[in-house]
Amino acid sequence: MKTAQAGTVESMDCLVTVSEAEPGTGLVLNLAGSSVARFSKAMEKAVRETLEGLGIRDLAVSVQDNGALDLVLKARLEAAVARLKEGGESA
Amino acid sequence: MPKNILGREIPEFIEGYGETQPFMGASARKPEGNRAGPKLRATFGDCTSKVIPDLKAAIAASGLKSGMTVSFHHHLRNGDYVVNAVIDACAEMGIRDLTLFPTALFGVHKKLIEHIKSGVIRRIMGSVNGPIGQMVSEGGMDVPVVLRSHGGRPRAVVSGDVKIDVAFIAAPTADAYGNICGSQGKSACGSLGYAFTDAMYADCVVAVTDNLVPFPAAPVSIPQYYVDIVAVMDSIGDPAGIVSGTTRITRDPLRLLISKYASRLIEASPYFKDGISFQTGAGGISLAVTAFMKEAMKKRGVRGSFGLGGITGYFVDLLKEGYVEKLMDVQSFDLEAVKSIAENPNHIEISADWYANPWNAGTAVNMLDVVILGATEMDRDFNVNVNTEADGALLHGIGGHQDTAAGAKLTIISQPLLRGRIPCVVDKVYSVTTPGEVVDALVTEYGVTINPRRQDLIDACKEAGNVPLVSMDELIARAHEMCGPADPVETEDRIIGVIEWRDGTVIDVVRQLKKK
Repeated sequence: MKTAQAGTVESMDCLVTVSEAEPGTGLVLNLAGSSVARFSKAMEKAVRETLEGLGIRDLAVSVQDNGALDLVLKARLEAAVARLKEGGESA
Repeated sequence: MPKNILGREIPEFIEGYGETQPFMGASARKPEGNRAGPKLRATFGDCTSKVIPDLKAAIAASGLKSGMTVSFHHHLRNGDYVVNAVIDACAEMGIRDLTLFPTALFGVHKKLIEHIKSGVIRRIMGSVNGPIGQMVSEGGMDVPVVLRSHGGRPRAVVSGDVKIDVAFIAAPTADAYGNICGSQGKSACGSLGYAFTDAMYADCVVAVTDNLVPFPAAPVSIPQYYVDIVAVMDSIGDPAGIVSGTTRITRDPLRLLISKYASRLIEASPYFKDGISFQTGAGGISLAVTAFMKEAMKKRGVRGSFGLGGITGYFVDLLKEGYVEKLMDVQSFDLEAVKSIAENPNHIEISADWYANPWNAGTAVNMLDVVILGATEMDRDFNVNVNTEADGALLHGIGGHQDTAAGAKLTIISQPLLRGRIPCVVDKVYSVTTPGEVVDALVTEYGVTINPRRQDLIDACKEAGNVPLVSMDELIARAHEMCGPADPVETEDRIIGVIEWRDGTVIDVVRQLKKK
């Protein structure tokens, strides 16, 4: 299974890890870090919207957050997906 | 459920706390009756030494029993050995169900968790931070924690709300008859301000020292006639944790910008003139504001009267260079401050009662022009929260926040708009520490937000022409746009913390976090 990453765990950033998922699994989302206590719904929405925009249905996404705003989270996810498409790394 | 005037739901009775008095306004509650007092004792010429070298023997001699209230001061900060040593000894002696009444606790005290779990400590009246705060927030104590400000605590003691059975006073220097000094000895901490009320009102006072000197010790902070027992430890604290090194001004450009705006606000205010007094604390932004103010004072030839509160080397320099005439010191943060309070008669040690107790004949905060404070969050009505974090956990004490805000003519909260994704302005704060009626302005990197009831300040800033003003509505809208909608904090009904206003009324309560 291939995975790819983008981002950092610096303040106001996040580290997004994406892995291929079997067709039909949908989004498997794992959120962790400082914003989760109050912003998990908003974070999930940002992830879903981004994947929808990219036309991706099946993906495992793990976010290690350190206070990223939505635009950062979306950009990191987009970059991680692009790296996965370029080949990613075998895990 | 009954609500106080801020609309906060406060039950009439809280299990483990008792009947509540709802908050009625910053200076609404008037005291009745007389001051409380400790038990009388007599000592005659046959007693010429109060030294009991062994800590356990000293505890036994103090008469401390299960169920009693013990107090401590926090001037040894994160270097303190005394709280842990005393509670460890109590545990070994089979003493249980204690009420711990510290002026503050630090990370070094996380060891108390085992004593809370085993029942040695049943209740804490004082701030809870870090791991202890997290444990309390998740329901780890049977009795709610009671939070009081630096002025509210002595008020509770002198009014009889809290009765201290035994006060343990960490004493950097003491003589055999109990004269205590804070500014000398290997564990010197400077001012002993927070310990005075405890010494005067506890039924038994135990000085715990690692520097026993010949009688009489001098100078004296707390005199012998309050002290019953002098116990000796090899070391009462770790100097590295007691005093910090030189406190540095922030280099973060965002925080420097906030500091610059805050300084301009002060300069535009009617208080920026000869005799100005201020309290800025030791935070990075606060120190930078002081630095900018110093420049402005130099440029405009303004001389201040006094600096108040927790004192740093930076304030000592202001005193030496003549920018202020006096320092009134309730807590000396660094080595320069400790040195200065020992040597300079214009650097005055003051008690917490003197500093901030609303129920005496007049405290130092009443004479304060400007105070710079922080916040975890602030709302549309300018109510400030410093006690709970964004996830609802009770992790911070009140300190002098309420007292200085209530006393100062100009109360400024300085804070970046965002900490991570967490905004510092919200529609409604999760818990209230300090009511908006005593808060004048918020300064963020977006500018200065002035409480609408201070039209005079708004006009003064407009006239100055260099203070960017931003309304609270605008600021909240901006924060909301960047952060998105927040999920509510999920709690149980059970109350784990009671936040008292400085007059003993309940301004808010904190509820147990729901298990995730």
